Amino acid sequence: MRILYVNNDGGGFADYVDVTPAMTVETFFIEKMPNRKPDDFLIRVNRQPVARDYVLQENDRITITPTKIEGALV
Amino acid sequence: MEDRKKLARIANRIREGLMQLKYGRYLELNRQLANITGQLQRLTTESRKMEASVTRRWLSAAQRCCKNVDNLLGEVGYSLPRIRPLTEKPQKEIPKLPLLIDELNGLHEEFGDIEFDASKNIISVITEPITLEDIYLGPFKIQLELNKLDQLYNSSPYFVVAIEPNPASTDQEVTHPHVSGEKLCEGDGSAAIKAALEEGRISDFFTIVRSILNTYSPDSPYVALHDWDGATCYDCGYTMNSEDTYYCEYCERDYCSECSTYCRHCEETICLGHSGQCSYCEEMLCRNCVSECEECGKMFCQSCLEEDLCPNCREEKENENEQQEAEINECENTSQPQTETTEVELAS
Repeated sequence: MRILYVNNDGGGFADYVDVTPAMTVETFFIEKMPNRKPDDFLIRVNRQPVARDYVLQENDRITITPTKIEGALV
Repeated sequence: MEDRKKLARIANRIREGLMQLKYGRYLELNRQLANITGQLQRLTTESRKMEASVTRRWLSAAQRCCKNVDNLLGEVGYSLPRIRPLTEKPQKEIPKLPLLIDELNGLHEEFGDIEFDASKNIISVITEPITLEDIYLGPFKIQLELNKLDQLYNSSPYFVVAIEPNPASTDQEVTHPHVSGEKLCEGDGSAAIKAALEEGRISDFFTIVRSILNTYSPDSPYVALHDWDGATCYDCGYTMNSEDTYYCEYCERDYCSECSTYCRHCEETICLGHSGQCSYCEEMLCRNCVSECEECGKMFCQSCLEEDLCPNCREEKENENEQQEAEINECENTSQPQTETTEVELAS
């Protein structure tokens, strides 16, 4: 099953990824962002907030944006 | 903003801006390529010169070439990381109108009202009030200028405007630790902002900017939050800007110009509490540059002390010595018993 994954952490990218059927948002997050806390991110599916047990559907668009990004010069 | 026609009109303007951005990226690549090509041509010239120098054993000429090549390699090294991001990622297709309308709907979901200035082609949203480390900075308006999208690689196409400004006391232009002159210091969000704008993810762009505004990075702010209201003079409590703050190394505290001075001997800045006055010349001095007169115990600068005596005590001692000498001379000219008496007096 294919979904659009938008990751605004680091360099930022949007790409289609394959996920196993019946995968929840929480499992997807743990898989893609290991060792990170979901509370530190704004997670949207099809631009809407969803529950962590939301089951991803074919062609869903999941966006993960950190709520804190350091604005210091790099 | 619910009006679909209105949204479509804005989406269309965004699309035009994204086309300009796509063109702007090629334009920037072209500019960078011209730059690096010039550097490589100069490198080729140096290579020929080097070959000739080596063949003829002109060691001085070879050394000059070596220096020029080194400079050029430095320039190429600087140019490469600027050109690579423009070539390594293929440009994505500009999103179609329905997708851009979805972006605007998403933006509306995240921020509420969206403002669009059709005459200036500016999309704006307002953040919730922002408070960092107990300092209220108020809400900010993030303004994306669609006409400036093609300048993404040279300057910033957006502005961050404080709605209820609470600027740093030391710099009115700094309305947020990472905003100066309405420009955001993007830091770790820089690449994500560029990617979002290049791909037409307008909603993500505004969300990333908001995340930066909601974060304080103490490493390199324009003005640190602990100095936001200015440093306070430890002595009188006056709020000072950074140019009017004087640090006393003795007590390790900040003072205003009225409550501080400097040592006229070593020129160290000191607070009034750690300064002292030479009792003779009345110059202000630090504790390291004053010494006690061994006779009267008062403090004097090193220039005024001689053999650990202040000018007054020195003079007094000299007068005493002169007096003693005079008495001795006088005694030498008088009778023996008187001399003995004088000697007794001196001994006592």
